[in-house]
Amino acid sequence: MKYDVVVVGSGPAGSVTARFAAESGANVLIIERRQEVGVPVLCGEGVSKGVDEFKVLEGKRWLANNMDGARIISPDGTMVKLAADMAGDETGYVLYRDIFDQELARGAIRAGAELMLNTCAVNILKENGKINGVKAKQFGEEFDIEADIVVGADGVESKIGRWAGMKTTLKPYDLETCAQYTLSNVEFDRAYCDFYLGKKIAPGGYAWIFPKGKDIANVGIGILASLSEPGMSLKLLDKFINSRPELKKGEPLRFLAGAVPVAEPIESVRDNLLLVGDAARQVDPITGGGLMASIEAGKTAGETIGKAIDEQRFDKEMLLPYEEKLKNTLYKKLKRNYVVKEIILGMEDKTLNMLADSLKDYKFDELSTLSLVKALVLKHPSLLIKLKPLLKLSRL
Amino acid sequence: MGKPKALVDKGKCLACGGCISVCPQDAITMCSSKAIVSKENCIDCGICIHACPVGAISNEVY
Repeated sequence: MKYDVVVVGSGPAGSVTARFAAESGANVLIIERRQEVGVPVLCGEGVSKGVDEFKVLEGKRWLANNMDGARIISPDGTMVKLAADMAGDETGYVLYRDIFDQELARGAIRAGAELMLNTCAVNILKENGKINGVKAKQFGEEFDIEADIVVGADGVESKIGRWAGMKTTLKPYDLETCAQYTLSNVEFDRAYCDFYLGKKIAPGGYAWIFPKGKDIANVGIGILASLSEPGMSLKLLDKFINSRPELKKGEPLRFLAGAVPVAEPIESVRDNLLLVGDAARQVDPITGGGLMASIEAGKTAGETIGKAIDEQRFDKEMLLPYEEKLKNTLYKKLKRNYVVKEIILGMEDKTLNMLADSLKDYKFDELSTLSLVKALVLKHPSLLIKLKPLLKLSRL
Repeated sequence: MGKPKALVDKGKCLACGGCISVCPQDAITMCSSKAIVSKENCIDCGICIHACPVGAISNEVY
């Protein structure tokens, strides 16, 4: 079995990479460990409306609910509202993530990529020290898939990179460990994604309520693995729900666990190999959101691969423009937000309360982490000292 | 008596992959949507046990 490119993983990063590589003329195979693309869902299912700009989705079958804004609720209940100026002016979406992933995979297939389900990678293949494919397993049978370029889009586990000798192992303080229910029989008169902060609610993370409709919502929690005890996410999630009457009457339709890297992006390119998405730690370290980053990186990766196939050169130098381009765009934001993440982690609950109180009537000009940081600095010039490395990064 | 090693409760594991991402020994793999610990490679550091959101991993003495 021989392809130009084998992509391990059919999540958004893998499918978008496959799509753009195939559109540039590459012969692409995606392998997926699961028996259905996008299932089980491992996600809070919230995304910024900026996702539209990539033009990688057809129709709206993936859309569960339009969001008017986000609200951050501090430990003492003070609310900071980041909303669109006009009512009905959408700022984000809550997704059906399974359909979302299937639509992205369909885009790759339409572009000419092949997709093999129930197939997991068990190792990378090497010939004379050079990576030339993956060893795969399907229904108990192992076989070789040869390829000039291997794409590790294997999510938080990032085994492909590890097998290639890259340092993909996460430190516990760079991992959010998550649990989530999709609750029915709850009521929402508003279209906001809510984020609850506080050491007692979610140490080193937050709890969230993302309404998927009028009477249904994803209610979840993420806590920093370095602050976690065994099973703590689930216990604190149950506590969060039981302490809120509007959630307590909810009945779960779905339960899931999740693991989100909140690290800085890592080395993502070697000869004949490229990592993309969660595998390359392309996730916003503050929110844990990775969809936008995965799609942006996947597009860049696919286009770079297309050029490599044209020139029939697959060495690191040929693939490096992928990483270089991201360093000038996406990675600036991710590195900046990693600094902010560390500052927030160092804050006591009373500091968060004080900051929230100072921002509770603030009118935000846009809904972004940067606008939140700008507002904080305006209100609290003393924060500038802590944020200095951050501002330096922003100017880069 | 043998050394303690991490053990995954297959009934509880929801295949999030968090344990795999933090294992310093590359001792955990996902197999049929459940995490499995290789007894040979596990050094009982306990990192995966603490990282599991649903408490599906414990250490057992073999």
